[in-house]
Amino acid sequence: MKINRRKFIKSTSVSAGAIVLGSRLSACATDSELGMSEYDLMKDVLKYRKFDSHVHPFDKTEKQLEIAERLGVLKLQVSNPVTNFSGSEPEGPDVVRKNNDVVIELVRKYPQRYVGFFTLNPLYTRESLEEIKRCTDAGLIGYKGYIQVKLNDPVYYPVIEKLIELKMVIYMHTYTQLGLGGYRMKYDTGRFPNTTLAEDMVETATRYPEGIFHFAHLGGGGDWEYQCKTLKHCKNIYVDTGGSNNEDNIVDFAIKHLGEDRIFFGSDGAYIHAVGRVLASRATEEQKRKIFYDNYVKILKMGGRYAD
Amino acid sequence: MLIDINAYVGHWPFKQMQYNTCAKLLERMNKYSVDKSVICNMNGIFYKNTQSANEELHEELQSDKRFRDRLIPFAIINPIYGGWKDDFEISTGKFGMKGIRVFPQYHDYEITDPAFIELVSKARDKNIPVALDIRMVDSRQRSWMDIPVYTPGEKKDIIYKEWQLKNIVPIIQAVPNAKFIIVNVANGLNLSAEETELFRKTDLLFDTSGRSMSDLPALISRFGKEKFAFGSHSPILDYLSGRIRIEYMNDSEADEATKEMIRSGNARRIIGI
Repeated sequence: MKINRRKFIKSTSVSAGAIVLGSRLSACATDSELGMSEYDLMKDVLKYRKFDSHVHPFDKTEKQLEIAERLGVLKLQVSNPVTNFSGSEPEGPDVVRKNNDVVIELVRKYPQRYVGFFTLNPLYTRESLEEIKRCTDAGLIGYKGYIQVKLNDPVYYPVIEKLIELKMVIYMHTYTQLGLGGYRMKYDTGRFPNTTLAEDMVETATRYPEGIFHFAHLGGGGDWEYQCKTLKHCKNIYVDTGGSNNEDNIVDFAIKHLGEDRIFFGSDGAYIHAVGRVLASRATEEQKRKIFYDNYVKILKMGGRYAD
Repeated sequence: MLIDINAYVGHWPFKQMQYNTCAKLLERMNKYSVDKSVICNMNGIFYKNTQSANEELHEELQSDKRFRDRLIPFAIINPIYGGWKDDFEISTGKFGMKGIRVFPQYHDYEITDPAFIELVSKARDKNIPVALDIRMVDSRQRSWMDIPVYTPGEKKDIIYKEWQLKNIVPIIQAVPNAKFIIVNVANGLNLSAEETELFRKTDLLFDTSGRSMSDLPALISRFGKEKFAFGSHSPILDYLSGRIRIEYMNDSEADEATKEMIRSGNARRIIGI
C-alpha cells in the first residue's frame, strides 16, 4: 500500500509535549518544499560499470555472477587462497595447486566475467616459482597471498622479485586489528600471527618501488583509519574497499589520505555493502567511475596480460 | 514513502562521525529521499545518566520545526541507573518520544535483569517499541577502550562477545507481548524451531542495515514480510546498503506491496504513526 508523502508528513509530525502540530509546511509540503530530491537508488547503482577486484570462488558460481550482474559488476577478479583458519590445516604445494585449479577452471568457463589470480605458499620457494609459471601459462594474471608468511619476511623476496619481473599485481590479505599479526598483542586474538600488517606492506613496497602492491579489504574488519594513514606515503600500494564492515566514511577517508587513483572497488563477497559504501560516499562522479572500474583496469593493463 | 528506523545523532567517542547532527542527517535524508528517521542520541550510550542525552535530543528537536517533522526520537533508558522510571515517563510523556533504545552491553546488565524486564513491561503497557542492537560497531576494528575487554593474552576471537540473534531470545520470552526492533543484525541467525516461532509470533522488526540481512528474500520466507523495515544504522554504517537490500530484490523475491511494507508500512505499524 503506497501512502501519499504529504499526508504522511502531516500525520506523523512528532508530538513533543506541548508542541502544536499542523503548520502550513506539515499540512501541504511538497517534496521540493521539504528539500527532498527524488533519488532513484537502483538507477544510481547501475549507472556505474564495476570491476570487483576482490572475490573468491562461491559455492554457486551462477549465483555469484547473477548477483554481480544485478549490481552492474561486469568483471570479477577471483582468487582462492589457502586459508588454514584452524592453524593446523594442510597448506603445502599440493593444496596450493588444487586451489589454483579452481580459479583456472572458473576463468576458462567464464572468460568474459572472471580474471584469475593464483595463490602460493612462499615458504616453498622452488614450488612457488614453478606454480607461477604453471598458472601464468594457464591464463592467470596476478598473485593473491594469504597468511602463510608476512610480506616483509625475506623468504618472500624470490617470489616478489619474480612477480615484479612479470609486472603482476602483488595482492595480499592484509589487516591491522588489535592483537593480530604483531599489532598490540596484549589483545592477542590467538589467530593468524603471520598476517601482513600495513607497516609490513609499506616496508616491502619501499624495498621494491617498482612493484605494484594491493592491500586487501579496507572494510574487512581492520582499522581502516590506521591502515590508510600508514599506507599514505607509499604510492605503489593500492587498496580495495571490500569486506563486510560497511562503515560510513571508509571511501571518503581513503580518498582523503590515498587519493582517488589508489582505490579499487572490491567486495570480498559482501556484494551489496561494496556498492553501498562507494555510492554513499561524497566521491564525485569522476571519482566513483575511477573507483568502481577505471583504476583497476589501468593497473591490470600495466602487466600486459589484461585486455579490457 | 521511506522511513529509516535506525539512525543516530551524537558522538561515538572512538571515531569521528559524519552526519551525526539533526541538521546533517536531514541533509542526507533530503539527498536520498528518506521521509522520516527514527533517531536516538548516541551520547546516551556513554553517559552514566542517559537522561541527559534524551534532554539534549529533545532540545535539538525543539530548535527547528523541520527536525520535529522528520525525525522520530527514541529515548535511551538505562534500567539499572537511578531514576530510570522518571526518565522513562518524562521521555515518553512530556518529550513525546515514540520508543526506547536499550544498550545492555554498554550499560552493563544482563538481558535477564529484572529491572530490564520491568522496563520492557512498561514499554509494552505504553504500547511503544523497545529497540536493541546486535552490535553497534564491528568489534574487529574496535577501539581498545570499547567493549569487549579481555584479560591481556587471553586467547579468544575478539568478536566473541558480539551478540547473535539468540542473545535476544530471553527478553522476548520474558515479555512476549512487547514490541521489539532489532537493529544491525550482523552475526549468527541460528535459532531453534521453537525460538523461530517465537520471533514469528512477536510484534517485532529487524532493520535492514546489518550484514546478516544480505539474503533478505530468504529471511522474509523464514520470518515473514511483516518483520522487516528499512534501517541505515547511520552515521556508523554507510547510508545506502540497508536500502539496496530492499530495492535489489526482483519481483519473484518481493513484490511491490512487500517492498512498501519494508520501506515504511511495517515501521508505521510498530511505531504507531
